[in-house]
Amino acid sequence: MIASKEMTLTIDGKMCTGTQGQTILEVATANGVQIPTLCYMKNLTPWGGCRMCIVEIQGSPKVVPSCATPAVAGSAIVTNSARLQGLRRLTLELLFSERNHICPICPMNKGDCDLQQQSYKAGIDSIRYPYLYPVQPEDVSGRYFGLDHNRCILCTRCVRTCDEIEGVHTLDIGNRGVKNHIIVDLNVTFGESVTCTSCGACVAACPTGALFDKAAAFLGPLSKCQQTRTTCSECPVGCGLVVYTKDNRVVDVFGDTESPINRGHLCARGRYGTWAEPRKRILQPMVRRKGKLAPVSWDEAISVAKSAISEEANWETGLLVTPRMTNESVNTLRQIGDHFDRVGMFVAENEAAICTTPEFSADSLHRLQNADGIILVGVDPSRTHGVIAARIRTAVRKHGAKLVILQGHRSDLDAYADISAPVVSLERKFWKHLGEVLGNSRRLVLIHGPSAMTPVGITILDRLITALNAHGDAAKILATIQLPTSTNSLALATAGIEAVEDISAWLDVQPLNYLQIVAGDEPDGGAHLLKESHVRTMLGEIDYVVVQAAYESVLTEAAHVVFPSAIWCEKNGSITNFEGQELSLRAALPPHGESRDDNAILETLFA
Amino acid sequence: MSDKPKIKVATAWLGGCSGCHMSFLDLDERLIDLAKLVEFTASPITDVKEIPHVDVGIIEGAVCNDENEHVLRTMRARCKVLIALGDCAMTGNIPALRNQQKLQEVFERAYVESESTQVGEVPDSSEVPKLLTKVRPIQEFVKVDACIPGCPPDADAIWYALTELLAGRAPQWNPTNMRYD
Repeated sequence: MIASKEMTLTIDGKMCTGTQGQTILEVATANGVQIPTLCYMKNLTPWGGCRMCIVEIQGSPKVVPSCATPAVAGSAIVTNSARLQGLRRLTLELLFSERNHICPICPMNKGDCDLQQQSYKAGIDSIRYPYLYPVQPEDVSGRYFGLDHNRCILCTRCVRTCDEIEGVHTLDIGNRGVKNHIIVDLNVTFGESVTCTSCGACVAACPTGALFDKAAAFLGPLSKCQQTRTTCSECPVGCGLVVYTKDNRVVDVFGDTESPINRGHLCARGRYGTWAEPRKRILQPMVRRKGKLAPVSWDEAISVAKSAISEEANWETGLLVTPRMTNESVNTLRQIGDHFDRVGMFVAENEAAICTTPEFSADSLHRLQNADGIILVGVDPSRTHGVIAARIRTAVRKHGAKLVILQGHRSDLDAYADISAPVVSLERKFWKHLGEVLGNSRRLVLIHGPSAMTPVGITILDRLITALNAHGDAAKILATIQLPTSTNSLALATAGIEAVEDISAWLDVQPLNYLQIVAGDEPDGGAHLLKESHVRTMLGEIDYVVVQAAYESVLTEAAHVVFPSAIWCEKNGSITNFEGQELSLRAALPPHGESRDDNAILETLFA
Repeated sequence: MSDKPKIKVATAWLGGCSGCHMSFLDLDERLIDLAKLVEFTASPITDVKEIPHVDVGIIEGAVCNDENEHVLRTMRARCKVLIALGDCAMTGNIPALRNQQKLQEVFERAYVESESTQVGEVPDSSEVPKLLTKVRPIQEFVKVDACIPGCPPDADAIWYALTELLAGRAPQWNPTNMRYD
């Protein structure tokens, strides 16, 4: 590391300090001098295309874009002269004349559009140039967001985000001159794109209404919404979320830029999966009567469930909970454990093995960031942990990290891999080649998922270590990251709750008379528990099944009593991510309808 | 009552929804104060058609057809100060959405394909104003002296602009008193 060199310069007459290598904009921002920007975005490579951040350097006749110009010690910068104001106004007017920016019909009006805000500040009440009124297409074929070229100012924030943060480079610029426009892949639609992950980072980066979230469009300005910082509970990464709410509903969800885990980035599941998908919410307790579930009051549902479990003293009873339960629920589960003969948490395939010796992998994301070699065994983050997949892609594309994927099926990450072996070859040649590929890596990171703990997985791990050792002084494994599939499975397992992977085996131990299932806000309502038809049969043989769930599913159809669960944005508490960090959940909304927190339901019934 | 002659004002409604005139009426009791200072002549509100020579001309709406252009040019020729009221006059705004289509497509959509039409035909009469190929804002035809942005502008914005102009000052727009939507 070269020692950073301090320097001083004056900006608008104010003495400012910075370090060599910083841009004028960075020094100004750090010293509290505001320079207007449009195409600039922190954490992205400066583009210098919009010319809003132009400044004058004393002694130079030119104006320069401060976002892309290194600050020089001793220089005197002017950020707001009459000349600069005139030029900025001209730039804005040209942007307006170039496309069809019709504010009244834009979903980002009333405070959410940077272009509009900048123009208000510049006092623009009319445009001095003839409008071009170009014919521009819209693309609303994407699952969660649309692109309206009429409102695009070609700042390329979406292009750079897609390239540098999500790492897929789906977006780019097509054509030349006035025909420049944002293109998806090789000029297809979002719906047709094979590379777009629907992460929505481009939408979050867009300063105008060109890219917009469909589900949030026209629900009112985000600037008027209440914001709540919470944690995503879709997977064990634990990304920070900012939930925008208004009139008792979620308007939009963005990544929390202040979260050190995801730094504002999210995957499609976290950004949209929790709120932009149509799902049938259960709003009232229900009791089965004459074969049909009928809505009843809480008091009635509680008394029905209570009498069922207390009437028969000899009943074999079981409680099965989602691995999304909060850390706070551990206490409840311990307290009420006596009421049940068996308590388990249902986990993903092969996940029970890593829950028997739960280990947290501290500092993983930081190590992944700096890795020069990444090995994935039995895990496909592009399906299950989107933000980790983004980190892997950027490590490969930006830093030239080697990527080796050893797992049982094809992955979207294969395109970035040096070696991807859907079926692992046992040939010596394969392992020798692998040793060569990774031989020069000094900061190797090994990420393994639940299926690495199967006999096949363990064989692969053994061979891998042998292959790396065979390469002499070779590769050093800097970190081994154990990546579970379920949100809070490691913390719950650490607290001693048994992980249940095979539901039918668990049910088979001894026939149950009473089973309570807490599915909570599992997106499918817990339906995946019944994916094998014989489990449904087994469930049918149980005398009494009580289900706590937020969404209707085949599981609730099989229940005698259904209690409506609160969902992620209605919960307080904490979860522990795969690195072992305890992260807070904060309710952005009160529980919808008559739903209640799963913990509270258990306590009411059994405590 | 002062002997000072009242300032004569005319307003015209070109290609727009009349929302700006509605917003003007939203001045409510301030209209009484305004009436003490100005005299309304031709306007959709007074229903006087012929524009006389006035001090201030106020235009709502974009220029969509030849009649709009004629009214605009007449107003410009007969007023001392011309004010563009609202986004349509300044930017084309919603009426300019049709600039994305060819004129023939616009006619077909409006007179033949529209959901409420059973048997329709595109009118062809000298009585009906001819559409221009593209909807354009008024400043692309005539010199505009002041603008009141908004769709429609708030009554407060209209009041601010009018009182400033009556006091002989140009309105100064900033994030607190201006919006485009």
